[in-house]
Amino acid sequence: MVDYITSLSIDNIFASLADATRRDIIRRVIPSELTVSEIAEAYDMSLAAISKHLKILEKAQLISKRRQGKRQLVRAVPSTVKTAEEYLQAYEQLWNRRFDTLEVLLKEDNR
Amino acid sequence: MSDNDTKDVVIERTFDAPVSRVWQAWTDPEQMMRWWGPKDFTAPTIQMDFRVGGKYLFCMRGSIGPDAPAQDFWSTGTYEEIVPEERLVYTDSFADAAGNVVSPATYGMPDMPEKLRVTVEFVATEDGKTKMTLTHTGAPAGENADNMLVGWNQSFDKLAQSVVV
Repeated sequence: MVDYITSLSIDNIFASLADATRRDIIRRVIPSELTVSEIAEAYDMSLAAISKHLKILEKAQLISKRRQGKRQLVRAVPSTVKTAEEYLQAYEQLWNRRFDTLEVLLKEDNR
Repeated sequence: MSDNDTKDVVIERTFDAPVSRVWQAWTDPEQMMRWWGPKDFTAPTIQMDFRVGGKYLFCMRGSIGPDAPAQDFWSTGTYEEIVPEERLVYTDSFADAAGNVVSPATYGMPDMPEKLRVTVEFVATEDGKTKMTLTHTGAPAGENADNMLVGWNQSFDKLAQSVVV
């Protein structure tokens, strides 16, 4: 578990994902790059509120923005999203290793 | 769609032992000491006040890398549901040796949720084995705190698809 964790230099990822709207935004920009207004249309929120969410996600490097003419395009940063995933995998790995040990322990009973 | 239905980590294992024995492995401190630390780790402390509302304090000791010194990982929480030989639910937070909840930052994981919830379900199979399912989810840390971990797996699934395509 912990090999992963110490080697990761993550900042604010988990805190950024603590909000349902922000998680939803990530889901939308994983398959395709969207403009800020396209994202905002999906929510019953002011553009300012959406911009604030985007700022938080950008700071955590979960999304990146680029300008194309007058439009601002937003996309997910797969490597960071993957880092978050690795945390979960690390937990999974820890449990699996514990259960390997438990399995051995239970087998000893049968002898 | 309910985000709360999403589990973060789900592990299913079938053990070649009766349910009573697998239950005991989780509920008898002396038994738990023998497996809470995985390979190359030990579990020097396993204390439990095994009742609903009771607390536990576990310690896992080991080195996290080839050159890293051995370190103690303390965790504590409260038993929320105890249905003997069927279901066990407890909360899980990082702790110090005295059993006080500490920030995940103490263990170098500043952005981890403060509190997780672990659910273990035990089912007897027809051939006398035990199917155990463990789910590990983020638990709301407080007022207005959205569940940090729920909903991720869907995002990851989509990410995986988008990477493949």
